[in-house]
Amino acid sequence: MTECVVAGERLVLLAQRAAWWPARETLFVADFHLGKAASFRRAGIALPAGTTTENVERLERALEARAAAHLVFLGDFLHSAEGRAPATLERFARWRAARPGLAITLVRGNHDDRAGDPPAEWDIRCVNPGEALGPFALVHEPAPVRGGYALAGHVHPAVRLAERGGQSLRLPCFWFGPRVGVLPSFGAFTGSALVRPRAGDQVFVVADDEVIRV
Amino acid sequence: MTGPVERWFEACGWRAFAFQREVWEAYLAGESGLVHSATGTGKTLAAFLGPAAEALAQGERESPSLRVLWITPMRALAGDTAQSLAKAAEGLGLAWTVGLRTGDTPAAERARQAKRPPSVLVTTPESLALMLSQAEARERLGGVRAVIVDEWHELLGNKRGVQVELSLARLRRWNPALRTWGLSATLGNLDEALERLLAGGPGRVVRGVSDKPVVIDTLIPEDVERFPWAGHLGLAMLPEVVAALEASPSTLVFTNTRSQAEIWYQALLEARPDWAGVVALHHGSLDAEARAWVEAGLKEGRLKAVVATSSLDLGVDFSPVERVLQIGSPKGVARLLQRAGRSGHAPGRTSRVSCVPSHALEFVEAAAARRAAQAGRIESRRPVEKPLDLLTQHLVTIAAGDGFVEEDLKAEVRSTRAFRDLTDAEWRWALDFVTRGGESLKAYPEYRKVEEVDGWHVVRDADIARRHRMSVGTIVSDASVEVRYFNGKRLGHVEESFVAWLSPGDSFVFAGHAVELFRLENMVALVRPARARASTVPRWQGGRSPLSNEVAESVRELLEAHLEGRAAEPEMRAVERLLRLQRSWSRIPRRHELLVEQCETREGHHAFFYPFEGRHVHVGMSALLAWRLARARPASFSMAFNDYGFELLSREPFEPGPALREGLLSPENLLDDVLASLNAAELSKRQFREIARVAGLVFQGYPGQPRTARQVQATSGLLYEVFARWDAGNPLLAQAEREVLERELEFSRLAAAMRRLGNASVVLRRTRQPTPFAFPLMVARLREKLSSEKLADRVRRMQLEYDREADEAMASDAQAELFE
Repeated sequence: MTECVVAGERLVLLAQRAAWWPARETLFVADFHLGKAASFRRAGIALPAGTTTENVERLERALEARAAAHLVFLGDFLHSAEGRAPATLERFARWRAARPGLAITLVRGNHDDRAGDPPAEWDIRCVNPGEALGPFALVHEPAPVRGGYALAGHVHPAVRLAERGGQSLRLPCFWFGPRVGVLPSFGAFTGSALVRPRAGDQVFVVADDEVIRV
Repeated sequence: MTGPVERWFEACGWRAFAFQREVWEAYLAGESGLVHSATGTGKTLAAFLGPAAEALAQGERESPSLRVLWITPMRALAGDTAQSLAKAAEGLGLAWTVGLRTGDTPAAERARQAKRPPSVLVTTPESLALMLSQAEARERLGGVRAVIVDEWHELLGNKRGVQVELSLARLRRWNPALRTWGLSATLGNLDEALERLLAGGPGRVVRGVSDKPVVIDTLIPEDVERFPWAGHLGLAMLPEVVAALEASPSTLVFTNTRSQAEIWYQALLEARPDWAGVVALHHGSLDAEARAWVEAGLKEGRLKAVVATSSLDLGVDFSPVERVLQIGSPKGVARLLQRAGRSGHAPGRTSRVSCVPSHALEFVEAAAARRAAQAGRIESRRPVEKPLDLLTQHLVTIAAGDGFVEEDLKAEVRSTRAFRDLTDAEWRWALDFVTRGGESLKAYPEYRKVEEVDGWHVVRDADIARRHRMSVGTIVSDASVEVRYFNGKRLGHVEESFVAWLSPGDSFVFAGHAVELFRLENMVALVRPARARASTVPRWQGGRSPLSNEVAESVRELLEAHLEGRAAEPEMRAVERLLRLQRSWSRIPRRHELLVEQCETREGHHAFFYPFEGRHVHVGMSALLAWRLARARPASFSMAFNDYGFELLSREPFEPGPALREGLLSPENLLDDVLASLNAAELSKRQFREIARVAGLVFQGYPGQPRTARQVQATSGLLYEVFARWDAGNPLLAQAEREVLERELEFSRLAAAMRRLGNASVVLRRTRQPTPFAFPLMVARLREKLSSEKLADRVRRMQLEYDREADEAMASDAQAELFE
């Protein structure tokens, strides 16, 4: 568990690749990509089962031991319309049913625009990017927002760490700039893209079960 | 029956060689076989005129559809081959049409061929597999009587060869009397090459013209004293190369890598600006038009010299070429002979190749390669065994074409040598993989690729069939960026990862031009002539082949001969001073010895080992030894390796002596120790790139693809992680590991080397400074760090490698995985 201060608020960065905001009992998750493996299978690409279960279990681990009142998906909750396979949806629905008191907000991302909103019975409030929450503006694609600190996802950020001697490691990261903060992608079956932070940015990498400031 | 053929030869003023007659007669007698000889000795007509003579004897008046399939590994060769076959057919008065079908064939031509198939079709392994994936496959290909596989040695050692085996099995099923002839350069394992081609059926190996004289020598500079001990640019020999080009009307200058070719081309033009226009550059990344211009120039004798890579190793006849230069080590005997054969490319003429060492020890390599060539010790090409990724591709191919019944196709696949030992479990897995998306116990209702309808396996979904046809084949190409001038002139392609490191305004050398990047958009790098002098040359991946076993062994023998005063070669005289220094500072190992040198520098404590076994073996061996040393006593090593040996470097003093006496080199537990010592998972993950592509897990995409296609793209690295985590028993993962062991580490060679060293006497020498043998290792760039620390601890020590001056843009690099 690693803490940082963003927009004057204390955030706890979790190795589950999510950010916990104690003041508002809110958990932020970006790029869940539910149904990604299923959409691959629909296209004739044989992928093993397990990614959805892993996602749901990791989400549960991030929430447990924290009296979370609110879960915010920062876009790309559903991967695609083709990925709405019955078994996948059913797995998430079971988890949702077990957490009836939790308020969930989805800030629609580019994938959600095509995949459509999640089933109504999941009781997820869907909003367009720009919704304000305290000092934060909730968005999907990272870009400065007037009047708020933008919390985003979309780029699946990662950085490369170099060791003297030439070896290097590529790790997903949290990346907080002066006006925009980007969370790592949460989904188990999602890639990452190297980003180039600027001097003064706060960058935290996720290395196995730890979050480390670099 | 060969009368008309003989008469045509006479009319052309040629005389048939005995081996050509042998092949014609054998073909007419219904036989199959393999013809081997150097290029330019009449193999094409040997193979083609048998079928032609048969057709003449049958007196066909009209052009029949598809009788002869001619398979060539290179698209670039296909056009030339089709022309010469058409010329022969016409000369013989045969009513045959000759067609061409490769990835470059336009759709209109393909449609014409579908309507009216040519009598002879020149094609590639990939295009043939593609034809098998079409519904009318049997109708079109069922009448084929003869298949000729050109340059079979090029296909034998890789999955393309297995793809040919599978396609041949299909053709033989349709026509059990099918005759198959392979054309090959000389190989160390010709019998195996034949067996693979004919699936173990009867056939003969025919040796082509064998008296083609080959002269192999080395350019030796006057001032050998100052010759560099290490370094890979090797421009030290530029004056000698210029002089050699002056002395010969037409020369091919071969380099081992594309970067080297660019560097040499640039250097030659700087040395002789008056050669602009008559000295040209040729490598696989250049624009096709530019390459065609160079090839035509060579054929017509317009060019004085061409700097080329393996892109000109094969095929097309360049008769005017009189001499070949090999820059840097030839690495292998077969390659040296193949390249030599590009000069004096006509029966009866002499081939001449001169090696151009780029550093001192390459003189020894050149002499060693010649010794091996003279002794006829030619490398083998090891065929690929049971590639399951290709099997899954083949199942979909056949299902998309005619469809199949399980037992029939299983028997057909097993009839090939590659899949002879396919187990029922492996077959079951492959079939489940394409029908159910995984093991049969887990069913995925959303998955449908191959569907079973009344016992018949077919692909019903048109989208899936179309996507499959677009990805048939086993060649993995890197994402490449087209390099183009503003005026639209195309220069060629570079790997995306190279361009990704450039910023607008940066200059680099490409296709012989110094250019400056202006803008990168949609996989096109727009460039303009550079204002500043460019010093960067793109580095293309691959292309670094290790010293072959044959040459490595010959180097060891040559050093032994040198010690006994039996090596009088001019190359050995050229490096006499260096060898003398090596002897006085340390030692030159005898054949039964392993030399280990220790020394201390500011960098730390070095141990240099010289097994002379080739780079790949040294990669594995150095990791293995470092791991075994660290197991005995925790330590951290940096490693470097080249074709001669490897270096272990540690900050702490370490003593290899006791460990060497106590089983450091033991061949026991070799496989487990090697896997543990290397980051096997990381290597397999890289290897998975090819497997994922062949097994259809990644789709290379096509222009104008719909959005939905982008949603099912993932990098092979990500796929590897998903499989490793949720389907660890997937045979494709095991295949990746096997391929890493065999290809990257040459495990069987490593094992043989360990057995040899296990019996060697170890000679430890402590030196005051790095010796001439050690020096190239010191400068070897690649250093791998063996580390057993916890990830988090390492991360804390590492530095974030980001560009603090970078401007505000969030630049995601080009290797970025698709996150869309």
